[in-house]
Amino acid sequence: MAGERPLVIVRLGSHAEKDYVLKLAPFIDGVIVGANLFEATPGATASLLLRTGGKARVYLDPMTYAFGAYEDPTTRRVRTDLDWIKSDQTRKEGRGKKTVREFKRSYRLLAEALGWPLSDAVSKSRAVNADVFKDPLKTATFCKRVIDYQLERISREFTDEEELKDFADQVPEPSAVFAPYFYIEPSNTGAWLDANLALARSSKGLGADVPVHAVVCADVAHLKDAAFSARLLSELPAAGIAGVWLWFSGFFEEAASLEDLVAYRRLVVGLANHVEVYAMHGGFLSLALNKYGMRGVSHGVGYGEQKDVVPVIGQSTPTVRYYLPPLARRLGVLEIERSFGALGVKTPKDFHEKVCGCAVCKGVVQGSIAQFAAFGEMHRSRASAKRSAQTPAAAKRCRFHFLLSRITERDDLHKLSLGDLVKRLDDARDTWGKQPTLSRFSEHLARWSAVLTQK
Amino acid sequence: MTGETGTRVFRREQELAGPVARFLRNRAFRLQSAEVQFFEHRMDLYGYSAREDRTIAVELKLTKWSRAVEQALLYQLCSDLVYIAMPRTVVPRVDLDVLVGHGVGLIAVGDGRCWEVLVAAPSQVVRQHYRDEYLALLMGGE
Repeated sequence: MAGERPLVIVRLGSHAEKDYVLKLAPFIDGVIVGANLFEATPGATASLLLRTGGKARVYLDPMTYAFGAYEDPTTRRVRTDLDWIKSDQTRKEGRGKKTVREFKRSYRLLAEALGWPLSDAVSKSRAVNADVFKDPLKTATFCKRVIDYQLERISREFTDEEELKDFADQVPEPSAVFAPYFYIEPSNTGAWLDANLALARSSKGLGADVPVHAVVCADVAHLKDAAFSARLLSELPAAGIAGVWLWFSGFFEEAASLEDLVAYRRLVVGLANHVEVYAMHGGFLSLALNKYGMRGVSHGVGYGEQKDVVPVIGQSTPTVRYYLPPLARRLGVLEIERSFGALGVKTPKDFHEKVCGCAVCKGVVQGSIAQFAAFGEMHRSRASAKRSAQTPAAAKRCRFHFLLSRITERDDLHKLSLGDLVKRLDDARDTWGKQPTLSRFSEHLARWSAVLTQK
Repeated sequence: MTGETGTRVFRREQELAGPVARFLRNRAFRLQSAEVQFFEHRMDLYGYSAREDRTIAVELKLTKWSRAVEQALLYQLCSDLVYIAMPRTVVPRVDLDVLVGHGVGLIAVGDGRCWEVLVAAPSQVVRQHYRDEYLALLMGGE
């Protein structure tokens, strides 16, 4: 499987991101949409997929894991109250109003659409238990519903409307369907791994016309668990599925230890001998592991190359930082700009040769390298704001630049030999990585080189 | 509050701001602004001396001097002179060679007064557009 060009599949996080997907659909390989987003805005999402479908592969992530147990990101305790898919909602009560904590509409609709055991979980406000999948008949019924949902949900948006029926034939079919999957939380690894494998086997057994893929949604600690990896390597291929998407919560490619990276590579290599392997929320390293059989990588448009299973609630909107291609990571404008002098980046031409020559960068940095600051442009979003925040235009520049860089990386990686790829990382470490404002952010390069070359 | 040796113990970075601001004012940096945002960062003190036509940025730190150097290097993009200011008791731990190598100055803050331990070299990487922008900000805020 190594040797095929890696696939870049962009995950649509919200409809605010649709412009990126629409404009870049001819250049990316696929679009993946969470079923919760689909249920929140079915018409808009179906239309978007209709418009991109001819140009890029389409995937509908059933998001079943959202109804399982999860680890609270703050307390690290396992929670089964499903609180993270609830929100405070205002209800009328008599003449007044009251605030209640209820399931978000999108997840409630998704649970209704996918039925047992998700609908039970919602009605009881309690997470799905791994043991329920010991019943093969019930499990098969659930798997069928989840797969049928992925195959039919998009077109149903058109067939249900008389005026739109004609479009139904043009609706793209998913390139693959996902078996239902749940987070393998570390305190109950065995039961959840059993459940996920049972769901994969059962889904494959339904005989769908499109390839069935599994998702391994686990904790980063599982990477070091040899028994866990051994079961994946033997039982996933045996399940008969065509592909597997790896998602290790807390696994950040740039910060990961060499030990974790080596374990990740071993898993990719071992699985890629039998099935297609994808990174569900991957970055440059996952893409580079194409040299070891990684088939594709999905990620968001601005950030999301790494993703925890449960997001931390209440964080402010992060700045979309500039993706520095030589270091393959996002950094602040100042940290990068401070290095320009020492690296001989003095003119726009230097910038396009040594930093980035994508269409966005050529458009922004035209007359002077001082224009690079436009990627970090700030303003006060409200008159009362105490701090300035990145302007929406700057965030948009950074996102488009990132996506174009990723497309270039995909194409370059395919052309480069493994030796050339490692040399590129080493050269970046010896130049960019030696700069005082970047050295702290370049330590991953040595680990990436090592994991790509270690026997 | 004072320590056993009569040296003031600083518990928060902001406690360094007053003595440093006075010190710089006495050195002709009369135009000053505190907590000036520079992209995602915040300069603790930014000032201007009309007499010398020089801008100055100061990073206040209680202990982590190497982190202060990282920030100081960024401020060299918008300021002619950049200093780190730290409690006098902590200053002996600072590797002065690192600061000299980067042209970053060092101010020691004691009980009510400051000492210039290391003179900052004029920034070689100052960007005129940033400098002009922040100077205008100072002038406007006068």
